[in-house]
Amino acid sequence: MYRYDEFDHEVVQSRVKQFRGQVERRLSGAITEEQFRPLRLQNGLYLQLHAYMMRVAVPYGTLSSKQMRQLGMIADKYDRGYGHVTTRQNFQFNWPELTHVPDLLQDLADVEMHGFQTSGNCIRNVTSDPYAGATAEEIEDPRPTAELLRQWSTLHPEFAFLPRKFKIAVVASKTDRAVIRAHDIGIEVTANEKGEVGYHIIVGGGLGRTPIIGQTLRAFLPREELLPYLEATLRVYNRYGRRDNKYKARIKILVTETGIDAFREMVEAEYEALEPLDIAVSAQEVERISSYFAPPDFENLPEHCDAFQAKLISEKDFADWAGNNLAEHKVPGYSIVNVSLKPTDLAPGDITADQMRAVADMAEAYSFGEIRTTHQQNIVLPHVKKSDLYSLFEKLKEAKLHAGNIGLITDIICCPGMDFCALATARSIPVSQAIAQRFSDPARQRAIGEMQIKISGCINACGHHHVGHIGILGLEKAGVEFYQVKLGGDSSENAAVGKVTGPGFSQEELVDAIERLVDYYIDVRAEDERFIDSFKRLGMAPFKEALYAA
Amino acid sequence: MSTAKHKGKGPQSLTANELRGGASVWLDANMEWSRDFGDAFKTEDENHIEKMRAKGDADANENLVVGVYFIDIEPDSGLPVRYREKFRVKGPSYDTAEELGLNAKKAK
Repeated sequence: MYRYDEFDHEVVQSRVKQFRGQVERRLSGAITEEQFRPLRLQNGLYLQLHAYMMRVAVPYGTLSSKQMRQLGMIADKYDRGYGHVTTRQNFQFNWPELTHVPDLLQDLADVEMHGFQTSGNCIRNVTSDPYAGATAEEIEDPRPTAELLRQWSTLHPEFAFLPRKFKIAVVASKTDRAVIRAHDIGIEVTANEKGEVGYHIIVGGGLGRTPIIGQTLRAFLPREELLPYLEATLRVYNRYGRRDNKYKARIKILVTETGIDAFREMVEAEYEALEPLDIAVSAQEVERISSYFAPPDFENLPEHCDAFQAKLISEKDFADWAGNNLAEHKVPGYSIVNVSLKPTDLAPGDITADQMRAVADMAEAYSFGEIRTTHQQNIVLPHVKKSDLYSLFEKLKEAKLHAGNIGLITDIICCPGMDFCALATARSIPVSQAIAQRFSDPARQRAIGEMQIKISGCINACGHHHVGHIGILGLEKAGVEFYQVKLGGDSSENAAVGKVTGPGFSQEELVDAIERLVDYYIDVRAEDERFIDSFKRLGMAPFKEALYAA
Repeated sequence: MSTAKHKGKGPQSLTANELRGGASVWLDANMEWSRDFGDAFKTEDENHIEKMRAKGDADANENLVVGVYFIDIEPDSGLPVRYREKFRVKGPSYDTAEELGLNAKKAK
């Protein structure tokens, strides 16, 4: 795992000291709220509907057990004993007090964490594949590239005040587990016909009030050209992106209005004009960063594990959990373990301080101390020996983290909604819970199969509803919440924006409508056909009819 | 500086957030800030509203509260008119700490 160097340490520690002074000046009145607001936001501190909210960066979703344990301590010391995993793989705390935040930031800095790039019109915390370094599908571990981007973008003076926020995601597999096509820039590590490794650069994707799937800017960018090329892209955006209307300020609007070919010409012209190799990173530096992500000391094990297989036969609960929550590891004898933060009775993505400590213990005992957060608001233990899986499952049960619903209908992405967010127009958590409870029978969930429901409490789409197989948008009119439904969205490598079905539903109507939709799908699906594939085959009309059949 | 400007119709209350803690507060009849909306002063009297505005400005300048603004109140129910403000009064309908009794555990 990446360890901060002296420069990183100095930046993080000096920022804590700086913010402590800023808070003191704000409390004394030496600076006004207008002056203080951008300073607190640059450290991840928002003022939400009921309280301050602290967003903690988790670069590319990678955490150590030590960091997770510290987050648990912070949840107890400064908050209400829990935290929340966001759709950008970050952590949020809903109830800190301003006067405590400098100490909170110091506790974060003690484990190389901070709130940089979690707010503001800068390059936000870079996200990546939670299976990085563990899946056989990848060309290479995408995290060294993500780390390179973190170092480049952190406090980048030219890009601190962009027209709007800027989100980058990196994957190194054909399977997209980071929704790269819904990012301002999506990067896929790829190889050309000569076998050289480089980057497929996608630009202009995004969700929010104008959902757009990104387009290819460069099909293959040589590895050493990454930073100069992104610098050129950001410069074009910084110069031509709209600043007169925040709703039209994202790069997706610029790319759409300019046209991808004209936009590409502008980027290439800017790139040509850059000082040659001005900020290009040498192969040695890439090697140095990559060395921090060297694989752990895997044992030489057979792929087949008798003890694991025996437990699959004798322990049904374990077999059901393993059937959904495990993914294939690149090293024989190991598994990738998905830990669900979607019990049917709690808010999606929430995790208590006790559970954070339990996950830290489990990571140390079974996964080389490594933890990942996912944009699906779950957790991954990336490197677990198959022979340890049953013991791990027992520990997960003790911690109430054993829901076996990864990728199923109750594995719902859900923003905090009106319960916490100042921007929301309706609640999303109770809707998520109502759906999860309606489909709480694990056997029924497995029978339905892969299903992605995503819920946003407003048009800003933090709950990714545009790319849900079933997307739900909470709105409010005359004091009454209602929920608009989209169908056919896809967050994978086959990314697609869902289509609105028609008039909205009340919460009660919505759960019944979704059940009708699911029942219809079960009736018409071909063998082993996923919901999204049935939808693509049959089109909107019959599903819409089922949805509104009451 | 407060941005409080009374533009609404009917009864008004003044709300803000505590600067230090962030909690939502409402101005009561004694011109003190309360975390309980039940204490909120609700009035259509322009003289009272002017006093409330002055108090809001003063306390924002004194760095006690932040984001001061007036909200419209329904005459019959005494609740805020806007859905968002109703929600701010009630607090979250769901909080994991409440659900699992984590606050009680922390208090022990």
